[in-house]
Amino acid sequence: MNDLNKDRPLSPHLQVYKWQMSSLLSITHRLTSVINTAGISVICFWIIALYLGEDCYKYFSFFISSAVGKFILVGFTWSFCYHLLNGIRHLFWDIGYGYELKTANLSGIFVLVSSFLLTLGLWVLS
Amino acid sequence: MSNMVVKKWLLQRITAVILVPLLIWFLSVFIGLVQKDFQSIILFFKDNVNFVLSVIFLIIVFSHMKLGMGEIFEDYIQDNRYKSVANLIITALATILPLITIVSLVFIKFN
Repeated sequence: MNDLNKDRPLSPHLQVYKWQMSSLLSITHRLTSVINTAGISVICFWIIALYLGEDCYKYFSFFISSAVGKFILVGFTWSFCYHLLNGIRHLFWDIGYGYELKTANLSGIFVLVSSFLLTLGLWVLS
Repeated sequence: MSNMVVKKWLLQRITAVILVPLLIWFLSVFIGLVQKDFQSIILFFKDNVNFVLSVIFLIIVFSHMKLGMGEIFEDYIQDNRYKSVANLIITALATILPLITIVSLVFIKFN
């Protein structure tokens, strides 16, 4: 019991929240942070494969050009876009803007829609 | 202790602000780049500006990642021993992976 008391309290686990825009976006921000960790790791392996030479890289490029590889890359792109846009939203909160309920909801919808549009735009234009 | 937490909070925001332009740069070049052939990608990383930006991007992104993951562990892992192990794994990942990658970039650039 004593040991238990020394620990700081945990955040309430996700099941206890009522689903709403703000919580959904907040959870997605954390979810994308974990996906981005995987994404940036893959990018590291991509660069290491480049250094190891063309023979090693061809396996990577084969995977990237497959349908599964494309799907994963597009997924990572969306995850990065979302985290970037919602991160900017968080930074505005940190300097004290955008807390009004209406503004927060609107900026949330804007972030969500823009993350998909940005992903689409990046892949269409490249 | 609280000072340390404040420092981490601030560092998380500072790295985030630096990452905004870096990630925009990265996303705008990466998707086109990844679809190019081996030689073109090598040439891209041999360029001075691309090389420097890539190295800075890797260092900042992994610092930001380590801070963020630490925050998630703080929220959801109660047992301090498990938390330490989780933090140790993330610290190792956030140190070794960018280090090997940056060394690879240096070899690509100067070979």
